[in-house]
Amino acid sequence: MKDVFLLAYRDIKERKARTSLTLLGIAVGIAAIVSLLSVGYGMEQAVTGELTEMADTIHVYGRGAEELGGFSDRDVKDLQRISGIKDISAVTYETAEVEYRKKKMPIEVVAGDTKEFWSIYEGVGLKEGRWLRENDYGGCVIGHHVANECFDDDLHVGDKLEINGDKFVVQGVLEKGSMLISGDTDIFVTLRASKDILRTDDTKLILVRIYDVDEAEVIADEIEETIDDNHGLDDFTSATTMGSVIEQIGGIFGIIRGVLVGIAAIALIVASIGIMNTMLMSVMERTHEVGIMKAIGAKNRNVLSLFLLESGMVSMVGGVSGCALGAAGAYLISIGISAQFGMDLPAIVKPDVLLGGIVVAVLVGVLSGLYPARKASKMSPVEAVRYE
Amino acid sequence: MIRTEHLSKVYRMGKIEVPALRDVNVEIEEGEFLAIVGSSGSGKSTLLNMLGCLDKPTSGAVFIDDVNSASLSENELAEIRREKIGFIFQQFNLIHSLNALENVSLPMFFAGVSSEGRMKRAAELLVKVGLRERTYHKPSELSGGQQQRVAIARALSNNPAIIIGDEPTGNVDSETGNAIMSLLEGLNRCEGRTVIIVTHDTEIAAHAPRVIRMKDGRLLEE
Repeated sequence: MKDVFLLAYRDIKERKARTSLTLLGIAVGIAAIVSLLSVGYGMEQAVTGELTEMADTIHVYGRGAEELGGFSDRDVKDLQRISGIKDISAVTYETAEVEYRKKKMPIEVVAGDTKEFWSIYEGVGLKEGRWLRENDYGGCVIGHHVANECFDDDLHVGDKLEINGDKFVVQGVLEKGSMLISGDTDIFVTLRASKDILRTDDTKLILVRIYDVDEAEVIADEIEETIDDNHGLDDFTSATTMGSVIEQIGGIFGIIRGVLVGIAAIALIVASIGIMNTMLMSVMERTHEVGIMKAIGAKNRNVLSLFLLESGMVSMVGGVSGCALGAAGAYLISIGISAQFGMDLPAIVKPDVLLGGIVVAVLVGVLSGLYPARKASKMSPVEAVRYE
Repeated sequence: MIRTEHLSKVYRMGKIEVPALRDVNVEIEEGEFLAIVGSSGSGKSTLLNMLGCLDKPTSGAVFIDDVNSASLSENELAEIRREKIGFIFQQFNLIHSLNALENVSLPMFFAGVSSEGRMKRAAELLVKVGLRERTYHKPSELSGGQQQRVAIARALSNNPAIIIGDEPTGNVDSETGNAIMSLLEGLNRCEGRTVIIVTHDTEIAAHAPRVIRMKDGRLLEE
């Protein structure tokens, strides 16, 4: 067996330029698949990873909240009776006029039951200062964008601003948010303060944290039922678990991956045509050699395996270098996107993607080498040996 | 040992049929040294290809050790070529990417001989044909005569009973040609191998105890 490899290797070496081009074709195809998949997985993880951290949180939105008004106090109270719930935060938000050093801007003001509410933003983190406490009536925490972009001067802890005419002191500034959870363009105040400064004290969003993630769906159904009953409507509210969100996102990424792999597969088909062409040329060129081999006793399958091995070896090397290229490409794309858009997009190079890449490469090589190899093996020895 | 019965071969060139062999009957005994002579187009190479199981007849039969080659599959024919016949060509027909040792060992490779066994025998054969110093040279680094010696060593590698040479001296000068003929004579006389060569050179044919002449695809007088 070793010797067939050696023989195939010699033949490949004889045709360096052409072999390298074929190899490059395969490598690019495989690299495209590997890098696109790795970036895709990274994207998926960037999104779902954050969601998984929040897996114990159920978001309760009022579906028709704008027209029908928000949740009532009774809704919030009733939810407390559902078993398995750790805590409940009522959240409200409204656009308000914010003034800082004579400049006025419309900014979304968000208020929640501080302690539980803040835990959602723990992942984002504070750049400076501290979170609000329940009695921080005149305090606020501002998002990254609000602090740095909205006004002529940057805002820091201790700066004073006016929200709908009332004075507030900045107690904390958030870090730049991620793709999903971001308070970049928001100002956060306590629920008590919001009742005075905002034109609404409707609860627009209820965040429910539960003890057991596995019960999320059941509890979400119970929440919907309870609140819908209170309002006498079938679809007043929708309670969204992270599980279902992750599932949806997973589905979307599945489609994206499919499209990416489809595109890369086209590259691979082109590469396989390249291999077939190279091998056909190689067979043509070596017709005489095949004739000699057959004349001195090579059976059809000897010739077949020699040519198959050759295309298999070329595509295997192509596959391995494609995997290396693809992994490197994925990391470059990840670094590029992270730098360009300021978000954290990891490249996740899965071993099974690499393995799959190599297997696909060899498969493509052997399959596209099959026809030329068969052609070579079926040659008549007397004609082949006469061919110059 | 080898026998033909009413052997005919017709080549088709498009719609035209070209008869290359017409009703050839010949019998070659074990241990014979036979030269087939004739002008080009006389059918001598075609006959040789039939005798060497490289080609199948259109009609008639070739018997090798009483086995009709027409009844054999491609693989069985390949086995006969591998085990019973050693080929020597006018163009030497060595594999360019392989060195002398590897070229000589190739038929043994197809026969499934172990790597060590092959290398040992190939080296011995190269010594036998006087090319010990050229063991690791590629064909491009060898003269015509040396290449033909490698080809002879290769023909011997599976220890065949029959050596078939198609103009084995056609591409070398007369001195080298005589040396190659002596080598073949040795294989015939000392080792008892059947040697069949095709040549258009009467001087070369004179080395053979038995000469048959061909013209227009027919066997002339012996």
